[in-house]
Parts: sequence; C-alpha cells; structure tokens
Amino acid sequence: MDLFLQFLTNGLVIGAFYALSALGLTLIFGLMRVVNFAHGEIYMLGGVTGWFFTSYLGLNFFVGLALVTACIAVLGWLVDRFLIERVRGQGEEPGILLTIGLSIFLANFTLLVVGPAPLKVAGAVSEAPIFIGPIVITKLRLTAVLVTIALIMAAHLLIQKTRLGQAMRATFQDSMAANLAGIRTKQVYAATFALGCTLAALSGMLLASIYSAQASIGGLVSLKSFVVVILGGMGSFAGAIVGGLLLGVAEAMWGGYVATGMVDIIGFVLVILILLFRPQGIFASHAERA
Amino acid sequence: MKQAILANIILATVGLAVSAHAQEEIRIGLVEPLTGSVAYNGNSVVEGAKLAIAEVNAVGGILGKQVRLIVEDGQCKPANSVNAVEKLVQKDKVAVLVGAFCSSATAAIMPVAQKYKIPLVTGVSSKADLTEQSNPYFFRAAETDALMARAFAKILAKDLKLTSVAYIGVNDDWGRGGVEEFARDLSGLGVKKALVEYFDHGTTDFYTLLAKLRAAKPDGIFVAAETQDGSILVKQIRQMGLNTKVFGVGSWATPDFINLTGEAAEGIHAAVPYASSMDTPRNQAFVKKYETQYKTKPGKYGAAGYNAMNIVTAAIARAGSTDPEAIREALHKTRYEAPNGVYEFTKKGQAYGFEAVLVRIEGKEPKVIASTPVAMH
Repeated sequence: MDLFLQFLTNGLVIGAFYALSALGLTLIFGLMRVVNFAHGEIYMLGGVTGWFFTSYLGLNFFVGLALVTACIAVLGWLVDRFLIERVRGQGEEPGILLTIGLSIFLANFTLLVVGPAPLKVAGAVSEAPIFIGPIVITKLRLTAVLVTIALIMAAHLLIQKTRLGQAMRATFQDSMAANLAGIRTKQVYAATFALGCTLAALSGMLLASIYSAQASIGGLVSLKSFVVVILGGMGSFAGAIVGGLLLGVAEAMWGGYVATGMVDIIGFVLVILILLFRPQGIFASHAERA
Repeated sequence: MKQAILANIILATVGLAVSAHAQEEIRIGLVEPLTGSVAYNGNSVVEGAKLAIAEVNAVGGILGKQVRLIVEDGQCKPANSVNAVEKLVQKDKVAVLVGAFCSSATAAIMPVAQKYKIPLVTGVSSKADLTEQSNPYFFRAAETDALMARAFAKILAKDLKLTSVAYIGVNDDWGRGGVEEFARDLSGLGVKKALVEYFDHGTTDFYTLLAKLRAAKPDGIFVAAETQDGSILVKQIRQMGLNTKVFGVGSWATPDFINLTGEAAEGIHAAVPYASSMDTPRNQAFVKKYETQYKTKPGKYGAAGYNAMNIVTAAIARAGSTDPEAIREALHKTRYEAPNGVYEFTKKGQAYGFEAVLVRIEGKEPKVIASTPVAMH
C-alpha cells in the first residue's frame, strides 16, 4: 500500500508536468488547426533560456521564469507573423512541413550555440526530501507542481475571462465572422501561438530545474505531448489535463508493478486503445474547446 | 548518350582530383554521434581525437604528410553509421576508420570495414562479443564490461562491505552487459542480488524505480549509465533520502558529471578506464594540454578519442604506407604508451595492458582509490 501511494504520487507529479507541456500543443491545434511539430523544441528552448538566465547570469528562478515568458512569447509571436501566416488557410500539410523544418532548425541552432551538454536550471528551492507519511517528495517538485497548477489556472482564466480570450474563442468558432465583427484575427492567431509556445517553454524551464535541459530532448517531449493530446482529444483544454495525469499515473504504475525498462510503451498502448474505442478522445465530444 | 559520356568524363575528373589530393595528406575517418542522446559524449571523443591529430601534425605529420581527420555523424544509429562509413570510404578515401561509439552502431559498421578491407579501431564500444566475431580488420582500444567487472568486483565487495546490491542499467546492450557482468562476478563473491531494473535512454524521472529500490533495501546500488541519465539518477537517489552506497560504470569521473550531479556525487564510486586524476607524468601532460585546448579536464571519452587516434597514427607510421593491409599488420604490433598505461592488442584485436581505476568522488574531484591493469583474457 505504501508503495502504491508512492507510485500514485510520482504519477500525479509527472502527469501535471505532462499536462502543462501538452496544453500549449492542444491550444495551438484547437484554435489554429496547426499541428506544431516544433513543440518539443520550444519546450527545450524554455529550458535552455532558463539555464541562461538562472545558472549563467545568476538571476532568481522566478525572475528567470518571467524573462523566459517574455522571450518565448515574442519568439512565438514572430514565428506566427513571419512564418505560419504564410501558409495559413492552405490545409494542414504546409503547416506540418513548416513546423518540422522549424524543429530541426531550433534543435541544431541550439546545438551550435550552447553545445550538446546537459544544462541545469538553478531551482527555486532546495532538493531536500520531504516525507509525508510513507511518501517521499522533494520541496522542489512540490513547488514545481504548484507553479504548474497556477500556470494552468492562469491560462484557463486568460481564455475564459479576458477580451483576448473571447476573441480567441470567437475566432475558433468562425474566423470569417469574427473578422467581420471587427476582431483582428491575425493578431489573435499570433497571440494564440505565442501563448501555446510560452506554456511549452515554461514547462521546459520548470522541468529543467528538476532534471536538466539538453538540445536533443525535443523529440521525446513532442511525442509524449502528442500522446497526451490524443488521449484527451485534439484541442480540448480539460482533455490535456486529464490526458496528462492519466499518462503519468499509467507510466508510474506500469513502471512500479511491471518493468521500468519499457515505460515509454505504455503511452502508445493507451493511444491505440483510445483510437480503437473512442477515437475523438476522452473529452472531445462535450468539453469546452479552448 | 553524349550526356552519359560527358557525365563519365566529369566523374572521372572529379575522381582523379580526389585521389590526387589524397596523396598529399593521410585521411582518417571518424564516426561518432554528434547529434542525438549521446551527442555530448560523442563530441568528447572528437575533442580528444582532434587533440591527438593536432599533436601529430605539429611535428610534421606522418610519412612526411599531414593527417586530416574527417568526422561524420553516425548518431549512434546502425543505419546512419553505415552511411557515414560508406561516405568516408567511397568519397573521402580514408586509410583507417575510427568509431562508432555505441556497440550496436559499431557492430553494424564492422562488416562494411571488412568489405572494403579497411582497419577499424574503436575507442569506446565495450560489448564483449564484438572482438569475438573474427573480423580481422577490427580493433578495440577499450575495456569490456567483463574485464572491468573482473578487475573490480573483489575490491568493491570488500571495500564497500557489500552484502546485497540493486542493479540498475540503461536499457541497451552496454547497460545490460554491465549489469550482467557485475551481477555475475559479485554474486560469485556471495553478494546478494536485491533487484535488477533497466530504464530507457533519456529517462528523466526515476522515482518509481527508486521507490521499488527503497523497498528492496539493498546496501549497495550498481548503476550502468552515461553522463546525463547517470547524473539525474544519482541525484534522485539522494533526493529519495537513500544513503545507500552507489557505484557504477560510465562516464562518471568527469567534471561535467560532477557539476551536474552536485553534492549528490560526493562519495560515489566509479570503475573507469580513465580519470584525469591518474598520477602519471604522461597523464599530467595530457591533462594540461587538454585543459589549455578545451578549458575542461578530459574525461573517459576525451581520453578514448585521443588514445584511438594515437594508436592509429602510430600504426600508419610503422606501416610506412597507407596500404590498409600494412596498417592492419602494424596495428597488431601496437605498443602504445597512453596517459593511462600501455595498450597492446590480442590476436582478436582486444586491447590489454592499460590501467583501469576505481575512483571515489571527493570534494568535486575523482580520487583514485584502486588501480589495476586490464589483463589479457
């Protein structure tokens, strides 16, 4: 039982991180119909810029978090206005090719600038263990989970309560009508892409403070995020959260009771099951769309 | 038809140009992972190799010619490594090949080297059976897991007072090989096997694995992992509040591993074929040169690249020509005085005679606590 609680905790912690990194992907897909294959590289970029601000320049973790937000939001905005805008409305394939190209560019550009060594983001708090009954967790992880929850809430409020969020939802429902109603859809698209990228980058920085960031991690992150998004339903906000937690817990249980050697398999088994029995995803039919 | 003739003429001219150029310099091909999950270690090999070549060229090259190192990215993947070798042989006309880091990639390029009858030296790939495939063109200037296990099992069991050990390895042929060899030799000394677990390359979270480990209550943890996976794993072992003794194989005695792992690295043991703190004049000179060039101390892989290149260039010099057969003969007569002892090859092409060390990390430095020559087997 003690072991079960520990596995469950591990799963929920990892699941929260999965949810945050998948949220950006599902937002961009849901609103813009862009399948962003550069998602993992943006996540990696968040970790690397986070390392630059905290470990290299020696700034405070939360100052670093704010700076990463600013940098990646600007980057996301520029990528949308200068690259994605050119292929908008031409179907999904040009967007896929564009983001695959972008992912290769970002990974190799980072490799060129900072090299292949793993980089560590200086954490906000200590890594000492805390014991809650039979469960071990570190202060750093607990903090990261709390920051993750805060970020997810903030993204939710942004979409539901602000004028920008209203414009986003209107553009999603019918971009032409939104345009006619005076919404500057180009700006809305760019803002959405910037928001999606920022969420990915922030989860990249949070996780790099617990693990480490490296130019080559993008591929695996993209893959896991796609698994989460397919589990929860393409474009569903709540789905990404449930999908992330589900994947995290499933991996922890599989690793705990079967074998840790083949943990990455479990995500794909879940995807196959979902595609067989509920191809629209767990949440897609009735959930609100971001 | 005309176009075909023209194309042939152009090809022939280009071919001539390449071979004419090739006579002015001696080319050595190096295949390492420069991108992908072990890119970091692959780049260390390249750094060491470049240092060796620069030294050779500084004193006038070999056979009166400059040596040119041509590096290709094999990504540690068998298919990419084979492509890289084909390019190095067909286009660059290299005299000798060095590579390809991961044992699986090396196993894939061995038949290619044999097909073109070009000697292949690896400074890294440690899977035991590579030298058992009776490939006359293959040489391994590196330790195998079996040799390391045999050299250190007794010292470890005695010094760390081990009674039961949990084995954790990265899920590939190298990690599984390391776990199996150490488990066998330690079990032979009466040390109980508490747990055996593997994890995938690039795994970041080990809490689940460590929860199982905590329940198994071993008094020692053996780890076969490289810099990135290993540093995260060791850190998380300490985060879980486990004070179990940790020892293992992999690139652990490096400044990068120690920096990444931080305080958690203190007191862990690593069995390595090379540590920058090895106390020989030749090693001190090597460390100094490496530090001046790269602003960091050499680790296991920097030394591996350096040694492999020196073995190859010395063999070409002894052969007196770039004829692959002559180089192959010369390689068998290797007696190379490395920073870490003397390298010689068995008939099967396995290196022996060099020192392997057991280090303990103390005060951010790998301190050598035992040293033993790797014996012929």
